[in-house]
Parts: sequence; C-alpha cells; structure tokens
Amino acid sequence: MTTQITTNGNQMIAAFAGRLDTAAAVQTAEDVKPLLDATDKEIILDCTALDYISSSGLRIFLSIRKGAAAHNSKVIVKNINDDIRQVFVMTGFISLFEII
Amino acid sequence: MDLHSEILLEEYDGLLPVLERMYTFVTELLEHTLDNNGIEVTSVRARIKTRQSLAGKLALKGSKYTAVTDITDLLGARIITYYTDDVDRIAAIAEQLFDIDWDNSVDKRRLHDLDSFGYNSLHYICRLPESLIKDADCPQLNTIRFELQLRSTVQHAWAAINHDIGYKTGVEIPREYLRQMNRLAGMLELADAEFSRIRMAITDYRRRVQKLVSSGRLDDLQLDGDTFSNYLLTEPFDALNKRIAAINQAEIQEVPMDAYLGVFKEFDCHTLGDVSRVFEQCEEDAYALARYQLGNTDIDIISSAVGVQNICIVHILRQGGGKIGLTRLFNAINGNNAQNELLAEMTYKQALNLPFMK
Repeated sequence: MTTQITTNGNQMIAAFAGRLDTAAAVQTAEDVKPLLDATDKEIILDCTALDYISSSGLRIFLSIRKGAAAHNSKVIVKNINDDIRQVFVMTGFISLFEII
Repeated sequence: MDLHSEILLEEYDGLLPVLERMYTFVTELLEHTLDNNGIEVTSVRARIKTRQSLAGKLALKGSKYTAVTDITDLLGARIITYYTDDVDRIAAIAEQLFDIDWDNSVDKRRLHDLDSFGYNSLHYICRLPESLIKDADCPQLNTIRFELQLRSTVQHAWAAINHDIGYKTGVEIPREYLRQMNRLAGMLELADAEFSRIRMAITDYRRRVQKLVSSGRLDDLQLDGDTFSNYLLTEPFDALNKRIAAINQAEIQEVPMDAYLGVFKEFDCHTLGDVSRVFEQCEEDAYALARYQLGNTDIDIISSAVGVQNICIVHILRQGGGKIGLTRLFNAINGNNAQNELLAEMTYKQALNLPFMK
C-alpha cells in the first residue's frame, strides 16, 4: 500500500495504491497527515489504483473529511472501483463525500 | 492651547498605560460575556481617545474639566447588535458587570419627542468594580470611567451615514434634506422593530414545531427545513440504524442528514406524517437491504444516514422508480455526477435479490 501526496495549485492530491486494510492503515494514517491541516484546499483522494478499503481505511477517509471541514477545505473521492463504491453506499457514507 | 489644557494633556500621557490595560480587559470581558450568554453581535469594538482628539476637545471646552479623568470617554467601547432588543439585554448585563455612573449615562432612544426620530443609542458611563479587577499598584483601574455605547446595526448605519453627510452640525444641510434624514430615521426605527418582531415570530414558530414534533402530531407539521431538523432531533432512524449496526457490531458515525429533506419532498411528502409513513412502510425492507449488503462483510463502521438512505432506496423501488429513481436519489445526496448512475445500477442489482422486489 502506498500513498503519494502532491500539490497542484489549490489542490492537494493523495494518490492511493494497493489495499487499504487494517495492516496498512497505521502507515496510511501517518502518510495523510499533511491533508489534515490543509486550509482552503480542494483535497482529492485519488483511488484509481486503490483495490480495496476496509473499515480502518474508511476511518482514515473520515478523519481527512473532518480535518477538511475544520479548515474550510473540500474532499473529493475520485475513481473508486465498484467494490469500494459499494462500500460507500452500504455504509451510508455516500452522502458525506463527493464521489466522482 | 492654554496652560490648563496642557496640564490635562500631560495627565492623559501619564494615564495611557492604565487606559491600555483597561482597553484590553474591557474588550475581552465583553466578548467573553456575550459569548457565554449566547448573544451574537455585529461587532465589539473599543478605542482609546487619541492625544490629537483630546487636544481638539480641550481646545473647545477644556475649562469644563478639572482633571482629565472628568472626561468620560477616554476609553470608549461600542457593541453593535443585530437586533434592537438585544441592546436592552446587553444593557442589563452591563449593569451587572460594571458600576454605572447613572448621572452621566444617557439613553438617547428615550430623548426623542413623540414626533421626532433620529440618533438612537444607549450610552453608559462605567467603572470597573474591584470584584472584576483589582491592583493595589494601580487604583485608577477602578476610578477611571469609560463609555459603553450600545446600538443596533440599523441604528449604527443611520448614525454613521448621518455623521458622514454632516447632519451633526445641523446648519450646513438645507432643511429639505434634514427632513429626509428624519423621515429615514423613522423608517429605520420601524425596520429595527420589525426585525425583532420577525425574530420573535420565528422563535415562536420553532418552539411550536418542537412541541408538535415531540407530541407526535406529525400530520400537523408541513415538511420544511425547520420541521425536518426538529424531526431529526427525535432520532426517528436511530432504532433502524442500531439494528443495521448490530449486523456487524459496527460503530455508528454521526453525519448530517439535511439532504434527505429534498428527497422526501420529491417523494411528495407534504407533512412529517407523510415522512413517518414512508419510514414505517419501508423499515423492514430497508433493514433487509442492509443485512444483504453488510452481512458477508467485516465492515464495522456505518453512518447515521444509512437507515434513512435505505428507506429511500426501498421506497423508490417499491414505487417503481427503478434505476432512474435511484440515480436521482444519489444525485440529491452525493451531488450531480455521472458516477451516480453506476451507484444506482449496483444498488438496483442488489435489491433484485430481496423479497420486496420479487
């Protein structure tokens, strides 16, 4: 599991690759820390190469969203696969994130 | 400038450190107190009279003052409220906080004749009591008076513009324009009273809504932002969410559910009673959908919106809304985007396995 964070103008992009499961969650939570303090940014969670997300992964997404809300930033979840899309729907978090 | 005024200016120079201390104390105290009392205001501002401004005042009427502390606005604070009735509320708080010099305080709102309108503001001349601040090395903290002005935003706007166009002097502006300003003052006084009345009416309405929601008279309540918010406060989807959470012993994360107001309106729900009936009719199938989706996963976190979301999914499908109806639902709760069609497609396929679709 890798997380790559880049900045592009007003956007901060976190590109996830691999399986965001319980084992990977601790390192990923550390990797996304720069996103938590981003102010007035558009935070893109690029899931193009993300194969799987567990509850621990969802919690990381939620913490990013919470940090963003506190800093007037916006979170967009991009390019999720069908399995992850299903996770967002069945947990009811679809209304919390902008998923494109 | 005469010798007396120069002496007063020197006194002022000596008092500046005390005034600066008072400035910080009074500003922070007012902000903190308003916050504690839940009173939102347009602004809390304070200023120390500048040496230049004081010199100007002394040049005009310096002989009136024996000591510089006879001047009551060396420190001035001003609170501008949204509503005119908040002026009285804050005045009552100020009376408890400070020692008020009643002889020099003035309520300009009460000075107008029956047929005149104009500057409306409450000016209190105050001292800081020892119960608030005490320093044996600086007794002036409790003896120097300061002015606290209280007025509404509308009153402030009138006063600021009035000052700007020079009406204050009363001689430079032709009578015709003075009359127009007066006419405007009367209208703004009316507007101020109307804003307060409307706020009171809305507060009353919200209280009535709360009462009706908690008494269960949902058919008496038109579906709108206020009624729906109050309905959500009664946690109508809580029991369903807990049943769904129990499938995987999941924790429930609270999320906003305001977006569902528009969804229920699209369902042609006109009252909270209509919403409640949709809920009652779809609850079991909404739970079955959640069990089907979550049952063979290890997901142990769900949102508090999952119950209402599944209710809406089931209602749409039962009404024959199909994939298009689901897409509209996801557009309403996830924003318009092309991915919502995929979400709808997936959800529809899953639902096909459930008894209510057969």
